[in-house]
Amino acid sequence: MQKAFLVDGSICLGCNTCAMACKNQYHQDKGILWRKVREIGAEEYHIDNNNILPTLVSYQKAPTAEMPMERFYFSLACNHCENPACVAICPVGAHTKDPETGICKHDQTICIGCGGCVKACPFGASKFNEKMGQAEKCSMCWERQADGKTTACVQSCPVGAIAIIDLHDPKYKEYANASPIGIDYAINAETKPTTRFIHPSMPKEVYRLPKG
Amino acid sequence: MSYSKENVESIVNNGLSRRSFLKGLAASGVLSSFPGGILQANEDLNTKIPYLGEKSYKTFRNACPRNCYDTCSIKTYVKDGVMQFIEGATESTYTRGGCCVKGNSYVKRVYSARRLKFPMMQVGGKGSGNWKRISWDQAMDIIAKKLLEMKKEDGTLLGAALTKYSGNFGITHYGIEGMFNSIGYTTRLAGTPCWPAGIDAQNLDMGDMWCNDPEEMKDSKFIILWGVNPASNSIHSMKYIYEAKKKGAKVVVIDPVFTEAASKASQYIQIKAGTDGLLALGMAKIIIDANLHDQKWLDANSKGYKEYKAYLDKEIKLDNVSKITGIPLAMIKELALSFAKAKPATIWMGYGMQRHTNGGSMIRAIDAFVAVSGNIGKYAGGARYGHLNTWGFNYAALSMPKPEGSVGYTGPEGAKGDVAQGKDAKSNYTDRFLNINKTARELINAKEPKVRLLWVACKNVFAQDFDRNQLIRAFQQLDLVVVADQFFNETAKWADIVLPVATQFEEYDVNVSYWHYWLTLNEQAIKPLFEVKSDLEIAAMLSKRMNQLQAGSCTFPQSVDTKAMMVKEFNPGIYEQFGIKSWEELKNGPVKAKAVIPYADGKFKTPSGKFEFYSDKALELFGSALPTYLEVRKPYDKFRMTSPHSRWSLHSQFQNLEWMEDVHPEPYVYINPDDAEAKMVKEGDTVAVFNKQGLLRVKAKLTDNVQAGTVLMYEQWYNNNIYNVNELIDDTSSDMGAFKTGAPGVALHDTFVNFRKL
Repeated sequence: MQKAFLVDGSICLGCNTCAMACKNQYHQDKGILWRKVREIGAEEYHIDNNNILPTLVSYQKAPTAEMPMERFYFSLACNHCENPACVAICPVGAHTKDPETGICKHDQTICIGCGGCVKACPFGASKFNEKMGQAEKCSMCWERQADGKTTACVQSCPVGAIAIIDLHDPKYKEYANASPIGIDYAINAETKPTTRFIHPSMPKEVYRLPKG
Repeated sequence: MSYSKENVESIVNNGLSRRSFLKGLAASGVLSSFPGGILQANEDLNTKIPYLGEKSYKTFRNACPRNCYDTCSIKTYVKDGVMQFIEGATESTYTRGGCCVKGNSYVKRVYSARRLKFPMMQVGGKGSGNWKRISWDQAMDIIAKKLLEMKKEDGTLLGAALTKYSGNFGITHYGIEGMFNSIGYTTRLAGTPCWPAGIDAQNLDMGDMWCNDPEEMKDSKFIILWGVNPASNSIHSMKYIYEAKKKGAKVVVIDPVFTEAASKASQYIQIKAGTDGLLALGMAKIIIDANLHDQKWLDANSKGYKEYKAYLDKEIKLDNVSKITGIPLAMIKELALSFAKAKPATIWMGYGMQRHTNGGSMIRAIDAFVAVSGNIGKYAGGARYGHLNTWGFNYAALSMPKPEGSVGYTGPEGAKGDVAQGKDAKSNYTDRFLNINKTARELINAKEPKVRLLWVACKNVFAQDFDRNQLIRAFQQLDLVVVADQFFNETAKWADIVLPVATQFEEYDVNVSYWHYWLTLNEQAIKPLFEVKSDLEIAAMLSKRMNQLQAGSCTFPQSVDTKAMMVKEFNPGIYEQFGIKSWEELKNGPVKAKAVIPYADGKFKTPSGKFEFYSDKALELFGSALPTYLEVRKPYDKFRMTSPHSRWSLHSQFQNLEWMEDVHPEPYVYINPDDAEAKMVKEGDTVAVFNKQGLLRVKAKLTDNVQAGTVLMYEQWYNNNIYNVNELIDDTSSDMGAFKTGAPGVALHDTFVNFRKL
């Protein structure tokens, strides 16, 4: 089993409820977001300041240029990669991959704050918390899931645009290669990220007033 | 400080702004004494907290009371007396386990280091920034003595004014009006800046403002979101719209702005602002001409259809409709005909549309179109705007008797506001009502007696009212300004006394929505922090001090807890409507009012008992019995400025929180690329946006979400940014509002500005 996020850009409102629900649950310090809602179609995306190295994710102008800024989005947290770089690099075993669920966990009681995971993650998922001198990242709410609840982001999404799926379930095969539109998401990267996306689209009919 | 027209040039050139003014204050050490000083919280709750399992927490029922369609039902998780996190209550099919970005920041709001903690007094005069901590007793003593002194000198308490609006719509918060009722006849800033023109329009047409359950929209076959953006401002409604769309319904957004909702619709139609009414009239003409109107329903349930049709025949020329609205005639025809053929079909009208000088007439025109199409009184149909039909509480907190011998206003009877102001027996006097939408000039102009004391509650006057420069003058001429709030906002800066108020997590209350049909209990989940008090407790403390100084001078209970007051608000009618036997049942979760389709029985509360195309009341009040086309305000500057609500704030609340700053750190002015090019403005440039009212400096974002000739800036208050869009808005009235809410609305979106790169 490999649990994964399925993000439906066709209904995502970009409302940031998921990102804030995550803050509400875990109280991330100012400047740190485990989940981030990004706009599709903007020339440049905000890169998290606390990523030490540039990430593999290159944010380019969406190929569907008619999608205006601030209207189409994708929500991204940790990918809980099938072959996570953070687990490989962590010198003290603070990062582990749950053999049952595939969730990539980070144990802050062990973390020595070396920043290796932050450097290694191609998606900027691991954040460095200056206040604590430690790393932190999305836990896919494994504690909540173990308690029979779903993740904070999934529960709070007003339209059900985020879901937890089993990536290896044949039901979701069609999403196997869906990276966010216009983004080189590095779906074929060595780490094998698991988040999958349903692409947004423009309304069928759009009428704008003529110029002048 | 003044932004008169003559000064605009010098401001642009010299960079003089309020920001630099404040910087000056900071440099002189004046400001630092406030936010960084005694009000600074202890270490705030920060840094990752783990989820410890459902059993580790005590849970409480709460509700979001912040003037939002969605009025979410909240479940609050508390551990060791500290709020840990919140969730949407899963019992409400509307909230469905979620809140919004703002609701999810509530923990940070409660434990924000920036919360007001103690009563404070500004000793160097308003705006001086020279603050001193005082005790609650001192604060109450100062206020009570001032009130009694005014009463003695003026012979009445009409010199005491209350401005309260939508920062907290919890039912017990009407106790603030109750507090003012309990001291005598006073002055109220009455009306509503929010939705008055539309309220009048719907009352003229249907005798009420009452909308179908939004959850029905899932079964609508055709939905027009007309000037409303639920993808930003009523996100929980979107799932019903999506469901309808999935089942094959067409969802059309008509809006001058390509909104978030428009981006998720089947069709987006851009319209010239302020011409929506004409489009609706044209659409009605089209379906009548095509014989697609519901003649049977109209015959049985409407008054004045003939006159209305005659008006359409004579005055509405479809070519003109197309020309003025900017929409091709074929598209208008297609829209009108397919709406009329789809049953049931519904239109949701936003509050933004009626914020024009012709706003009420536009809502009337759309109501009429929905009526003609036969969708009023139908399941999943309706002309949706809002409703107060689940608000039948006792208003016990509000209904306070006047002290014996109270003297009041004897002029013409004035305004009432959204919710009835109590059931006083006939009296020789009334309170004095001033137009809330012209707060600044009304405070300055009020005579005999002049206003000397202003109490501000549930409201950030400087972020919400208009004509800032005049507001400052108005505040400065008052003897005493008391601001009860949770944060040190712009209004608090101009106060004499600031009182720290409890959040809903620190008090009891009960909440309903003006949109959906759910009822939610709000429990006290945590003990009040610092020295904060609920508005009701403040009222009781004031009553106690006034009675100590002069027995019988205030009838408000001298001690009251919010739970007791909340319990008093329930009655058999509420229990019956919501199918519960006791308020205690609400501890199990929110409940929904029994299903009802507004006007399904064909009974309207209009004078004729029918849907009124022809309204004698409208003729009497507004000079036109029919929903007719009224031209919008003429431009007085180069660009129209529209200032809709942002997803990051509820009016001026939430955007100031640290967590919110992480997802939306700063304001922008959104400019169409064509306009930007003409002004040589590039993305990210700082521009000055200015008009006869004022000037703002703000970063530009270029986007054709906004049509050429229009700039867009969202309404909100930032903690560390002096930005306030209302500085550019004058207080010009919309056409309607005075009928039901006592004062006309404000034509916010008929603001015109110019801009220039800095």
